[in-house]
Amino acid sequence: MRALKNMAAPMELRCWGAGWGLPSVHTETLIVLAYAKFSGADLKIHVVDCTWKTFTGTIPALVLEETVVTGHVEILNHLRKQKYNADYDLSAKQGADTLAFIALLEEKLYPALLHTFWVDAENYSNVTRPWFASRIPFPLNFYLPGRKSSEAVNRILLTQGRPPLYSISEVEAKIYNDAKECLNLLSYRLGSSEYFFGNTPTSLDAFIFGFLGPLHKVHLPSGQLQQHLKQLSNLCHFCDNIISTFFMPNASGFGSFGQETVDANLQKLTQLVNKESNLIEKMDDNLRSSPQHKPRKSNNMRSSQVLNGGDESSVSA
Amino acid sequence: MSLAAEAFVSQIAAVEPWPENATLYQPLKDDQILLSDHASSLAVQAYLRMCTLPVQVACRANAEYMSPSGKVPFIHVGNQVVSELGPIVQFTKAKGHSLSDGLNEVQKAEMKAYMELVNSMLLTAELYILWCDENTAKQITVPRYSTPYPWPLNHILAYQKQWEVKRKMKAIGWAGKTIDQVYEDVSQCCQALSQRLGTQPYFFNKQPTELDALVFGHLFTILTTELTSDALAERVKNYSNLLSFCQRIEKNYFGDNDSSSIVGRISPFS
Repeated sequence: MRALKNMAAPMELRCWGAGWGLPSVHTETLIVLAYAKFSGADLKIHVVDCTWKTFTGTIPALVLEETVVTGHVEILNHLRKQKYNADYDLSAKQGADTLAFIALLEEKLYPALLHTFWVDAENYSNVTRPWFASRIPFPLNFYLPGRKSSEAVNRILLTQGRPPLYSISEVEAKIYNDAKECLNLLSYRLGSSEYFFGNTPTSLDAFIFGFLGPLHKVHLPSGQLQQHLKQLSNLCHFCDNIISTFFMPNASGFGSFGQETVDANLQKLTQLVNKESNLIEKMDDNLRSSPQHKPRKSNNMRSSQVLNGGDESSVSA
Repeated sequence: MSLAAEAFVSQIAAVEPWPENATLYQPLKDDQILLSDHASSLAVQAYLRMCTLPVQVACRANAEYMSPSGKVPFIHVGNQVVSELGPIVQFTKAKGHSLSDGLNEVQKAEMKAYMELVNSMLLTAELYILWCDENTAKQITVPRYSTPYPWPLNHILAYQKQWEVKRKMKAIGWAGKTIDQVYEDVSQCCQALSQRLGTQPYFFNKQPTELDALVFGHLFTILTTELTSDALAERVKNYSNLLSFCQRIEKNYFGDNDSSSIVGRISPFS
């Protein structure tokens, strides 16, 4: 392990591992991973799952020869200093827009995301806590998810609540309303382009992918925000596109030129499959919600499973 | 405001025209109001003037406790009370007064994003400097904040407020920042605003929007308020187009009969 580390690139990223069809399930980690892919930085991924690092370290962390850079903003700044700059082609005005939209995400979308994953009782106990608990060593698995959850409540209340009597039920409606508006704004801003500033991905795309990715991919039992995102097809396509272009095992981003045409074809194919499976899922949902669905249900279910299964196996392969 | 209440307010609001006796409440301007509250109040005043909606400014020592959201400023229009710029913009829109109708959807998205940038960076930086910088807190913030209250209430309320702000800074990860890092953030925010503004008269060219009102409120207040050091104002002064932007709005919207009043409204912190 040690020999390997010395041989490989000196930059090692400590982060949460993959799951739910995403390269990482953790928003901040996703931002760093996406940015590294966009800028061509070669990071050695060190997954902290099931180690004590989950407790002692801030995640994500970039381990360098002498120091450790923690926090996604700091890591991005460090990569920029190392000449890994995904925003090189942006004009000054576009750079300003990047900053503004990141502020919009953090102020309007982040509180509702925290609530969806860490506060909403159904999602937290059925999805978030089991996933994290299974990747944290005993006995911390009983403690850490709960701490993270109470931190989330705290942050939502202190930033959105009204002193001196903070109450979570009072702010819930407001934060979801804000978040849905934020998603609409992002959808308008993206329009029909591939990325937020044309044809090349930038740090803003990395941030938006980090925030939207988990919401798009995870199957949540209680997902009013997820339902809203599903209706904004250009944002869903944006996430799928980044996953298939940069995080498929065969697609290596900007690195290899020989494979490009093969990758492009593969990408088109996966997009097609994704689209169809989405369509089938939607039809399936519609059928399920309508009262006379019984005779057709099994048939549809099977075809959607086959497609989904195929999709997932290509992700994990 | 809950969703039901919001819907109700916009229903009611549409019916009644804007009355002559609308009032904006803020803390006492000479010896109580703080930089951050003054910035928010000036932003609302600028917005209402841009909409040509008349409003009288009333100073009350307990404005913070009169406000339905606990934040100043708030306006009292007819039989309704609305606080903070965002809800006030919605409220006036329901009454048929809007500055952003001419924008397309992408521009509206950009406008809202920049408004969040100002709120998340400038406003937070102002609160940090006022309450978390020990010098400023001791010499300016606490004495001003507690003017209207007798001993021991003055200490209790100021301490409570400071504790609240510090908790919020901790929750959003600002507690570990040094004052220089905060100034750096302010610079970054001003640079973004300056680049977005470019050589245009307003952020979306000819017509001002609520974003212009918000930026004006904060920058003008920072430029004209005396703190323990002028480091904050210096950061803004580096951007000449932002300076002329502030002068332009001051001249166009506050330059009429009460040109002295805006200077009077700016409380010299000394």
